[in-house]
Amino acid sequence: MDIKINETPVRTSRNFRVNNITINNIDIPNKLDEFKNIEIIAQNITTDCNKENINLVYGNGDVLLSNINKEKNSSLKITTTGNNKQIKLVYSFDDKNLNLVNDVFLDIKHDSNIVIQYCSNTKKECFHNGIVKLIVRENVKVNISIVNMLNNNSYNFDSIENDLEENSNLKYTIVDFGGKYSISNYYSNIVGNGAKNDLKSVYLGIDNQVKDINYIAHLKGEKTDINIDVQGALKDSAKKNFKGTIDFKRGCKKAKGDENEFCILLSPKAKSIALPMLLCTEDDVEGNHSTASGKVDQKSLFYIMSRGFSEKEAIKLIVRARFNKIIERIKDDEIKKEVLSQIDERLN
Amino acid sequence: MASKTKVEDINRNIYDIKDKDNYEFKMQKGLNRKIVEEISKMKNEPEWMLEIRLKALEAYNKLELPTWGPDLSELKMDEIATYVKPKTNLNTSWEDVPEDIKNTFDRLGIPEAEKKSLAGVGAQYDSEVVYHSIKEDLIKQGVIYTDMETAVREYPDIVKEHFMKCVPITDHKFVALHAAVWSGGSFVYVPENVKLDIPLQSYFRLNSPESGQFEHTLIIVEKGASLHFIEGCSAPKYNKVNLHAGCVELYVKDDAYLRYSTIENWSKNMMNLNTKKAIVGKNAQIDWVTGSFGSKVSMLYPMSILNGEGARTEYTGITFAGAGQNLDTGFKVIHNAPNTSSVVNSKSISKDGGACTYRALVRVNERAKGSKCSVSCESLMLDDISRSDTIPVNDIETDEVEFSHEAKIGKISDKEIFYLMSRGLSEEDAKAMIVRGFAYPVSKELPVEYAVEMNNLINIELEGSIG
Repeated sequence: MDIKINETPVRTSRNFRVNNITINNIDIPNKLDEFKNIEIIAQNITTDCNKENINLVYGNGDVLLSNINKEKNSSLKITTTGNNKQIKLVYSFDDKNLNLVNDVFLDIKHDSNIVIQYCSNTKKECFHNGIVKLIVRENVKVNISIVNMLNNNSYNFDSIENDLEENSNLKYTIVDFGGKYSISNYYSNIVGNGAKNDLKSVYLGIDNQVKDINYIAHLKGEKTDINIDVQGALKDSAKKNFKGTIDFKRGCKKAKGDENEFCILLSPKAKSIALPMLLCTEDDVEGNHSTASGKVDQKSLFYIMSRGFSEKEAIKLIVRARFNKIIERIKDDEIKKEVLSQIDERLN
Repeated sequence: MASKTKVEDINRNIYDIKDKDNYEFKMQKGLNRKIVEEISKMKNEPEWMLEIRLKALEAYNKLELPTWGPDLSELKMDEIATYVKPKTNLNTSWEDVPEDIKNTFDRLGIPEAEKKSLAGVGAQYDSEVVYHSIKEDLIKQGVIYTDMETAVREYPDIVKEHFMKCVPITDHKFVALHAAVWSGGSFVYVPENVKLDIPLQSYFRLNSPESGQFEHTLIIVEKGASLHFIEGCSAPKYNKVNLHAGCVELYVKDDAYLRYSTIENWSKNMMNLNTKKAIVGKNAQIDWVTGSFGSKVSMLYPMSILNGEGARTEYTGITFAGAGQNLDTGFKVIHNAPNTSSVVNSKSISKDGGACTYRALVRVNERAKGSKCSVSCESLMLDDISRSDTIPVNDIETDEVEFSHEAKIGKISDKEIFYLMSRGLSEEDAKAMIVRGFAYPVSKELPVEYAVEMNNLINIELEGSIG
């Protein structure tokens, strides 16, 4: 079937080719066996199966949402009982676990570091369609990372939603490397006064990979804050749509929103579309956005090469340098290492 | 609570004076084949033009309304008269223009400006151009500046080659509508290497209620030539919706230069659904300067298509939306050749519940290697009942490009006010100065008389220091 998903919150002209993305001839799996390769490392939590349907404000469209509600083969509800240095969930795809249709509901009442990873231990096509719903309770600090390292034959659909209560502080990191198609939808409901959301993400597209990234933040509470920073690189014929929306809702006095996207183009065939939106119905706010794209900085390249590196190695260093400050935020050394080695591998 | 700057509405006294709806002929309302044929017949047009009109009507019936942007549901084509012929023919002397129409243009200062600072003037009243003039020495140099109807009759080859070629009739529904019922507008032809050092100006006035204005502007600036063209528009306010769906086609040939300035001050019952495009040749340049103040709804996105190597474009625009206005404006640029460049500088001010949207497209195609593009937009919100959105699409298809985009949104900075007040200014003067400063990069690009007009438009009056 063909599906049209990841709609922008406000439409613009169809000719601009950015309102949504159409994926043709996709088989959405149903009647699935339970996904068994899940590793959970954590203390101070209770886990349960999430029995209720999660109704999303945005998400990846009705077809994929009903696929999750009807067909999910993994479901998890995590509630914290104390502070957590680390909650780690690893979903490993292999020949027997090729399809994951899941939801993760996180009710975080204590300061926590969370890492969720999807990885392929197979070259076969994997399918992931999932929801990560997070509630950050009053005065709680959360640092969460989602790392997509599926193989390049796969489909990856992420629907992420957050509710931020008063004075909560959410650091979100997304690493988006894998998938033939990787479609991510992120919505943050920043409703509590003084709540802060800092979202940083990196993407790396090679071959014919398609990335469609749709980040939306609603600033509703007073003195709320959103900071979106997206760094990416595109090689070969990879294609990326970045849609980022900061929506200042009436009443969010003294709120601040910043959005920045930077895309390094590593090939003349790579294609990059960016739509950074600022929507505003409140005057007492500060909003900024900037996007830029272009080749690797030639001066830096020349400098590194003059020190004896090959062009390829020099490009890798420059990309790693741009990504590093974001990757550093992942609170798991093992996964951090894997991410760095994936950059080298994918840019070879 | 901090006081709010009270920015007065534009003083519309001059613009709102209505003349009696005193026409020679007003087409029945609505749109169908018979109406289109009748317009063509009244204009005594050649067959090829009627064919274009009928094709466009067919396209209009097929095309959908935009699925994005402001609400257009109030626009009912059945209630709009597409053609209103004023009681006069085309004149070349203001003395011959009927008194009531002449008075209108007098109030708008057109004949005065013509004497002082213009090389030629066109004035359209409802559907027809009522006055056109151009300086003798320009005629000698081969410059043509006339109304579109005359151009269709006298220069059919040039018109045929360019009419609705830059903007295809199927571009969108209102372009199709325009091509089906177009009337009036200006035709400018500047021959090779002729440089006009003072501007030409066309002024469009829509007086008749429940009607539409569909003027067509076609400008061809030949190789190495240069022109500054100014377009002004206004209408008195009526209770029912009026429609403006003009079309501007600009051809800037190799090494040529065109500056296209617009001050749009339609009344607040106007749906302004206008289309403007320029095709720019090798090492040529088009600069757009646009001020959008009037209309109830505007959807206006001038477009530069940089087809020649080294072509350049600059867009400088300001939008000011007050109560009941939804102004959706912006700019589109297509980089289609190597080493092209574009610079965009957009400003908007929203107040009293008005909504401003900056909607834009930058597309750098694969062949546009070595191109540069820089976009900056700033929005000022003067209260918390207004709305300001920024929706820019940046589509980059080559790595050999330097592209950057930045936008800012917010209110007048307290720090800036504090600084100016510490220098002895009152709070009101400080705020007024900041708003004028905000608009300055645009107003300085306008011709002097328009800059004065714009400063009046943004004239700030403060009511008390406690808001």
